[in-house]
Amino acid sequence: MRALSNINARSIAEAVAAARQANDAGQAFAFSGGGTDLLQQIKDGTAAVDVIINLRPVTDASQITSNQTETVIGGLITLTDLAADATLAQRMRVLTEAAASVATPQIRNVATLAGNVTQRPWCWYYRNGFQCFKAGGDQCYSVNGENQQHAIFGGGPSFIVHPSDTAPALVALRAAFDVAGPSGNRTLSAEEFFVLPSQNPARENSMLNTELLVGVRLPTPAENTVSTYFKVMDREAWTHAEVSVAVVLEMSAATITSASIVLGGVAPIPWRSLEVERFLSGKTLDAATAQQAGAMAIANAQPLAKNRHKLPMTSAAVERALLRLVPA
Amino acid sequence: MSEAFEPVTPLQTIGHATARVDAIERVNGSAKYSRDIKLPGMLYARVLRSPHPHARILSIDASAASALPGVRAVITHENAQIVWGSGSISGGRQYSDPSKDATLHRRYIFNNPARHVGDSIAAVAAVDRHTAEHALSLIKVAYEQLPFVLEPEAALADAAPKVWPEGNVCPDFRNNLEPMVSNAGDIDAGFAAADEVFEGRYDTAFIHNAQMEPRCALAHWEGDKLTLYTPSQGISNCRHDTARDLGLEDHQVRIVCNYMGGGFGNKNQNQDTDLIAATLSKRANAPVMLEMSRREDWLGVHGRWPTVQYYKIGVKQDGTLTAMQMRAYSGMGPYRKNSGGLSGMEAYACEHRARTIFPVYTNRTTSGNFRGPSEPHGFFGIESMMDDVAFRIGMDPVQFTLKNMLRPTDAQPFTNYSLEDCILRGTELFDWSTRRQAIPGSDPGAIKRGAGFAFMMFRAGVGSSSAIVRVDSKGHYTLFVGVTDIGPGAKTTMGMIAAEALGVPLAQVDVVAGDTDRCPYSVGESGSRTTIMTGYAVVEAAKDLKQQIAAQGMPTGNAVLIASATPQPTTDGKSRQCFGAHFVEVEVDTQLGTTRISKYVAVHESGRIINPQTTRDQIRGAIIQGIGQALYEDLHYDPASGQPLTPGYYRARHLTHADIPPIEVDFIEVDDGYGPFGAKTAGEAGIIMAPAAVANAIFNATGKRMTSLPITRNKILEAHA
Repeated sequence: MRALSNINARSIAEAVAAARQANDAGQAFAFSGGGTDLLQQIKDGTAAVDVIINLRPVTDASQITSNQTETVIGGLITLTDLAADATLAQRMRVLTEAAASVATPQIRNVATLAGNVTQRPWCWYYRNGFQCFKAGGDQCYSVNGENQQHAIFGGGPSFIVHPSDTAPALVALRAAFDVAGPSGNRTLSAEEFFVLPSQNPARENSMLNTELLVGVRLPTPAENTVSTYFKVMDREAWTHAEVSVAVVLEMSAATITSASIVLGGVAPIPWRSLEVERFLSGKTLDAATAQQAGAMAIANAQPLAKNRHKLPMTSAAVERALLRLVPA
Repeated sequence: MSEAFEPVTPLQTIGHATARVDAIERVNGSAKYSRDIKLPGMLYARVLRSPHPHARILSIDASAASALPGVRAVITHENAQIVWGSGSISGGRQYSDPSKDATLHRRYIFNNPARHVGDSIAAVAAVDRHTAEHALSLIKVAYEQLPFVLEPEAALADAAPKVWPEGNVCPDFRNNLEPMVSNAGDIDAGFAAADEVFEGRYDTAFIHNAQMEPRCALAHWEGDKLTLYTPSQGISNCRHDTARDLGLEDHQVRIVCNYMGGGFGNKNQNQDTDLIAATLSKRANAPVMLEMSRREDWLGVHGRWPTVQYYKIGVKQDGTLTAMQMRAYSGMGPYRKNSGGLSGMEAYACEHRARTIFPVYTNRTTSGNFRGPSEPHGFFGIESMMDDVAFRIGMDPVQFTLKNMLRPTDAQPFTNYSLEDCILRGTELFDWSTRRQAIPGSDPGAIKRGAGFAFMMFRAGVGSSSAIVRVDSKGHYTLFVGVTDIGPGAKTTMGMIAAEALGVPLAQVDVVAGDTDRCPYSVGESGSRTTIMTGYAVVEAAKDLKQQIAAQGMPTGNAVLIASATPQPTTDGKSRQCFGAHFVEVEVDTQLGTTRISKYVAVHESGRIINPQTTRDQIRGAIIQGIGQALYEDLHYDPASGQPLTPGYYRARHLTHADIPPIEVDFIEVDDGYGPFGAKTAGEAGIIMAPAAVANAIFNATGKRMTSLPITRNKILEAHA
């Protein structure tokens, strides 16, 4: 592990200033929220860092505030605090369930929402130091390699899957993403924030390296909105999703008036299943509808040689997520 | 069926659930593990490792590393040629000195060519860890990359890259590159006598021992005497091996291991960490601490050998076995640290049998002993195969087993035999007849229940260790035994055995262990032998001391009485085995691929149980590892580059607490008159059956035979596609 320095930022403004300074000096730097993943990447040699800009002293970006039209969640809120918020659990359950499903209690106690949304992929090749697209290289080793965990939607030229649990929930809730940087603040839609490898194979989002995610804006859901996060894991804890589904449904009695279906673990970005969303609109939410939605979810999937199992898994996950929300 | 033995009831100390004598310091953090020890002027060492699966080192330039301020010593294959252990041909003879002289294939602490990713290339000692790591980055190594091979069957093809010049079948003790063959009867006659013949192929993955504490060593020279603070499963063997490897006499080496964080076979004998730290310390003339990172520990040492097993079984219509044939391949990595054997077939009575196992070199990380070295993967293969045979001829697998399992004969009597008792007790506790699906896969719905079973016997022989016990005038007893506590609670067990044999409370006995300068020879914490072998020496030493006290009275003033014993017990030509049967119920989600264990019953006969608390935990812990092998763990390699992809707890998918099902453990206790108070082995027994029992339960639930470990979700879903 190479020598590095640490800057404690006490505000977002200080963090941005530190980033600009390091950038101008030609230093490799990284923002650190909980640091749970960054430190390991530095030790493994998959992140080259001269300067850590430590965000833990920042106090102005970890609150949840609401008004009639929206809820704003600070990016530095810990996943534990996010998962425990009773109001959110009532109105936007998909998000608190997603936050509660991340990793382990110890990690959730320090890991942040922004860090979870912007974490780097967990592809075996990238994490083992292969010079792949994600490490600045010019190829994806998974295409003809061990691609059990890789993308069945949206892949190419990189086939990583987006590792975040909270991101599919945020996208399903129609979140906007508040980004701060040296050129000022901007708010991006999910479509603007997450980028496919075909747009930029080295990155998972459109932030500049001097920018950081300071919060998310969630429009207030309509009355009679129900939601859930269903995560298929390869063990009961401390694992990313093999497949996950974030579901948000606006209901009128047993009829779905509007649906958000966003898949995790299957694509390089949180993957909106527009076909399923369209199909569900106007349908009665019952077992038959859920099964059809599950089958429809994989209609356009493009599996690789070793990840065909994600197809039935995705179908079943969509079906079961919907079944959870069937009115009693 | 049961033989006439006295019922076993708790004694004064033995047989009562007893907290570990060192529980408090372990829990409150005051226990000093090897890595916690600090000596004045101590340096820190790091190891440079091969990034290539197979590469010849053309040159190493360490001049820039040596010149870096703070660096005190740099060693490479050019200036430190030390053979680690027995080289590469231990083949079950890991304690053998002659093997080191004989071996054709020597494993050095630094190897050229490097033969797997993670093979050691060089090491640096510096004033701190970061300086040492910086120095590693300054070592320039020119490699010539060589072709590599990862899979044992592929490694035997004519055109396969050769890991060693002579070929890829690992040589045996006499340097013959031949498989391990064991035949009996006439295999052709056996198949000719069969009504039906069935065949099957099974394979199992490399899984790492994954002990919590990475290997480390603190080396410290005083003149020509070396002290090593090192986690060891056998301080006496570690001392002897280290002395031999460094050209010293045994008495010139002191091994200290007061506490350690597990080993599961990974810390048998000495380690390259011991030899590298000792060499750096000698060169730098200062104490040197070397600790491996988790990744280094995963790739630089060893785990269970991956296997491919082919079976052919002949059987009569009534279920009687007529022939058993096996051909198997064990991937040993590039050094044959241990045998590569596969057990299980010998648990069946069948006159005609043929077994050929090829231990094969590959360019994966080295394989070696892991809790039941030859057992859980071997028993998975044969007991899956037999479960399949029973199914195909329409028999309940329990009935099939009762008909065919090995039983005592006049030619081979046992000290006692309780395998049938274990199986029958298990069927009752588990409610086998109700939980088992008469027709596999018949449970309706997406989530299917089913039940599986496996059985085992495992050696519980007796052997030699030493013990010393002393009493002072205050009536305080001190026991000196060369054990280390790798988890099962050996210090507590030894104290309990001594207290019982001396007829005093445990609180009156201090146990001194884990230091070769203070303790006599002990067999080492491998092969589930510490309790039965060193425990037996404790009993004999205590008997001697009691006789001295009876003859002379208790000592007075500053006098002490001391007794020692190095008994050579035998089992009078009888086979001494521990026995077990495991019953598992699973719920297999055929849409998500998930296997959930909903009930697990383990019945064991391990003789008299010394400490029910720690023994139960041993069985549970072993089963948890076995479930990990069955359902989760793997070390994936990239076939194109030979790079390992899943080292470490996260990616190798070790079970978390949340994954562990309730496990019911039941003991049948017997005192067969051998071993300390009739105690037998336990530590390895629990892991042997778990993979087979889980896999058989999945078959019963789904009707799909899972032939490849681990049985991950993708395999379940592919079987249902």
